[in-house]
Amino acid sequence: MDTSSPAAFVNGDLLRRYIGQKVRAVVQVIRSDIGSVVGKTTDDQQIVVKGSPPPSLTTYLEVIGIAESDNTIRADVWTNFGDNFDAGNYNELCKLANGEFRHMFI
Amino acid sequence: MAANLTAGAIAKMLSGEVTDEKAMTPILQVTEIKMIQQARRNQEVSFERYKIALSDGIQSQEGMLSANSNVLVKQGSIQIGSVIKLTRFSCSPVRDRRIVIVNEQEIIAEKWNIIGNPIPLLTPNAQINSVVTNSPQAQAQAVHRQAFGTGFHQQQDIRSELNGVANSSQAQVVQRQAFGAGAGAGSGTGFNQQQATRSVANSSQAQLVQRQPFVSATSPSARPYVSSNAGYESSRQEQTYYTRPPVQPQQPSMYVNRSPVARNQAAAPMTIPVAALNPYQSRWTIKVRVTSKGELKRYSKTNGEGKLFSFDLLDADGGEIRVTCFNEVVDKFFDVVVVGNVYLISKGSVKPAKREYNHLPNDYEIQLETWSAVEQCYEDDVAIPRNLFRFRYISDIENMESNSVVDLVGIVSSISPSGLIMRKNGSEAQKKALQLKDMSGRSVEVTMWGNFCNVEGQRLQSLCDSGTFPVLAVKAGRISEFNGKQVSTIGSSQLYVEPDFPEARVVREWYEREGRNAPCISISRVFSGAGRQEIRKVITQIKDENLGTSEKPDWITVSATISFMKVDNFCYTACPIMNGDRQCSKKVINNGDGTWRCERCDQSVGECDYRYILQLQLQDHTGVTWATAFQEAGEEIMGMPAKELYYLKYEDQDEEKFEDIIRKAAFTKYIFKLKVKEETYGDENRVKATVVKAEKVDYSSDTRSLVEAIHKLSTEDANSLTVNPESSNYRSGALNSGVGTSSVNMQGRGFGLPAANQFSSDSRPRGGMVLCGACGSNGHVFANCPSFMSEPQGEHYVSTQGRNAGRGMPRQHVGSY
Repeated sequence: MDTSSPAAFVNGDLLRRYIGQKVRAVVQVIRSDIGSVVGKTTDDQQIVVKGSPPPSLTTYLEVIGIAESDNTIRADVWTNFGDNFDAGNYNELCKLANGEFRHMFI
Repeated sequence: MAANLTAGAIAKMLSGEVTDEKAMTPILQVTEIKMIQQARRNQEVSFERYKIALSDGIQSQEGMLSANSNVLVKQGSIQIGSVIKLTRFSCSPVRDRRIVIVNEQEIIAEKWNIIGNPIPLLTPNAQINSVVTNSPQAQAQAVHRQAFGTGFHQQQDIRSELNGVANSSQAQVVQRQAFGAGAGAGSGTGFNQQQATRSVANSSQAQLVQRQPFVSATSPSARPYVSSNAGYESSRQEQTYYTRPPVQPQQPSMYVNRSPVARNQAAAPMTIPVAALNPYQSRWTIKVRVTSKGELKRYSKTNGEGKLFSFDLLDADGGEIRVTCFNEVVDKFFDVVVVGNVYLISKGSVKPAKREYNHLPNDYEIQLETWSAVEQCYEDDVAIPRNLFRFRYISDIENMESNSVVDLVGIVSSISPSGLIMRKNGSEAQKKALQLKDMSGRSVEVTMWGNFCNVEGQRLQSLCDSGTFPVLAVKAGRISEFNGKQVSTIGSSQLYVEPDFPEARVVREWYEREGRNAPCISISRVFSGAGRQEIRKVITQIKDENLGTSEKPDWITVSATISFMKVDNFCYTACPIMNGDRQCSKKVINNGDGTWRCERCDQSVGECDYRYILQLQLQDHTGVTWATAFQEAGEEIMGMPAKELYYLKYEDQDEEKFEDIIRKAAFTKYIFKLKVKEETYGDENRVKATVVKAEKVDYSSDTRSLVEAIHKLSTEDANSLTVNPESSNYRSGALNSGVGTSSVNMQGRGFGLPAANQFSSDSRPRGGMVLCGACGSNGHVFANCPSFMSEPQGEHYVSTQGRNAGRGMPRQHVGSY
């Protein structure tokens, strides 16, 4: 994976800002098929994550990849985040990391 | 000669307060005279009697002149406009109204201009179905406006619109009376204005004030109560509505003969103000709005079980009263009563209020029975306010007694997550605490219990978490004395989040302007025994804010890592004897023969207990502090009981394993609950921190508090341009790794170094400056001097004034001593 550029923390709303760029997001798995996973972002929007998901998925999943559209990510890295995850906090993080404190992240 | 009518007299007479001349001899004006033929029974001859309307300038009442006075009328001594003083009279209820029987009067003036604007009462246009009373009402209203303009807040004006369903002038009178003040003001003032406005109302539609038998169901709509704020207009409307030609049965208007049946069906012909309710008045009706409704409660007494519920009422005059229903009455009315609706209530029993449960400002309360009536008025009455608040400043609370009830409005400056408290009887209760601050510059802790936590509490929590500081209005919060003064919710309390009252807006504006940064003194000392208030601090705040230096210890929560542990004395030999349900735990002395002696219990034991007394150095991103952890916290940190560890080290001599354990325990992050208190060792004051609890970090809630802090920070930055040097975290010089908050001022730092021995160990701040005796720097005291902070407590630090003579705080040496 190309590790040169840092991945921006995104939720559903922020994804569209980074189309074509590397992003990371934690989603709650709604449905998983071969080649894609439908997940709910931390601000309750549905996105599709394409790629090869790992065989077993926990409730929460972090994906890092390129944003293809405002609701699709092509993910290279998939990490299971377990079943207990505070989506609210993550959402706050996304907002802060892309807002006031952008300079700290990217 | 100025004729001064006894204003308010009519009101008193109508309410029954004044029944005869022994109470007062009012001066009234005759506004109408009508001759009636009164037929005596069994006689064919009829008598002439004069029916009059008497006015006190505000209201009118029907009366009868004695037959002896007929001649006075005939000769003109008593005519319309005459001012008379009632020297002998009686007021008695006849059917549902009160009539004044004037037995003797003194004529003050035979002819006088009509004072005030009394409404004609005795016109022959008796209309059966009209329930118009607007005229007297309206007049009364207007007067009310005039007379009671001062000192009452806005609601009064609205309230002046009578929800006067009464068809008789009597009702309003009573209501007017409720205010009491300025009774004398009524007469003669500003009546011109009235006249102008009333002119329409007092049009020739002299409708008779008459009681009509009407079925309760239709009454609400039929009733012409002046329900809109544009009182005058509406009354006018209603006046026009009832332009019935006078087609009446030929009965003397006042004495409409209503059959008992009809009367029973009639719903409250006249309503009286809540303030006039008393146990001695059997027949009354009130028109009120329900302001709060209690939960259904069950109780059991020696003679059986029961259930009850209560609700509070408010009427248009601001009178409040509580109503309680028991047992089967509960079933009857529980679903009927809805908060916010307006009802007509009658036939309840008025009893003295139970002060223990009832905090309303009324000496009485109502108990409904199975024969009581509660009917809803479907047409809402704007005259009755939704709520009556008597807001007080938080600073006033300090002087108020415990268990008194108060209304507050302020800004929620902080709120902590809900907690569960175990009550003495074993049941759990949900509790949520917040700090409320208002314009008096004080803040108080407000605790909400039970359901409030879930509904309003959650809403407030999310508002606060997102950085806004909502306005909260509390109605009927109880003051309690527990670490200063606190306010908590009770069954009849109500919380309003971001309400729309004018007071709330004022508070909001104040906050935006200056309140946000205004210093706020808390009248509730925020520490708690049970039900701990989680106050998150960072370590430097312990010094900066002089925690522990007040009378009581400060309880705080810090998120920190153990950076060092003293291993030499990690435990002590403790007395295992139980004193009640607590272990003695005093240090026992080795007797030498294998037994251990405890001084407190005055006994020797063969086997002693080992209890932790861990001295830890806690570090977070701001600073370091020493704290002592005792048994419970020690076990949590080390992961094993002290005895085991002791044996491991001393008996088994397993150094390796021991070190392993120590290493594992160190550099772990916990949420520590600390008790910080300043203690005196000889002539030195040290601030000691004890670890009360060490918990694993719950990242979720920890993050949430961080998010909150971030938001607070960003909003503060936006608002305050100048940073208050006193309040900002004064980073102790030793740790230059201070967080770069907006407080970058390091003033006072370069204080120069006065000769250290000028300041002895006296660590008292002088004139606001906090000077350290050792290094002479500002901001901390000798005991907290960072140069000494590496010392564990208990070790009395001998003066080393020269230590920092070279200026600057040396970086703390971890573990050096």
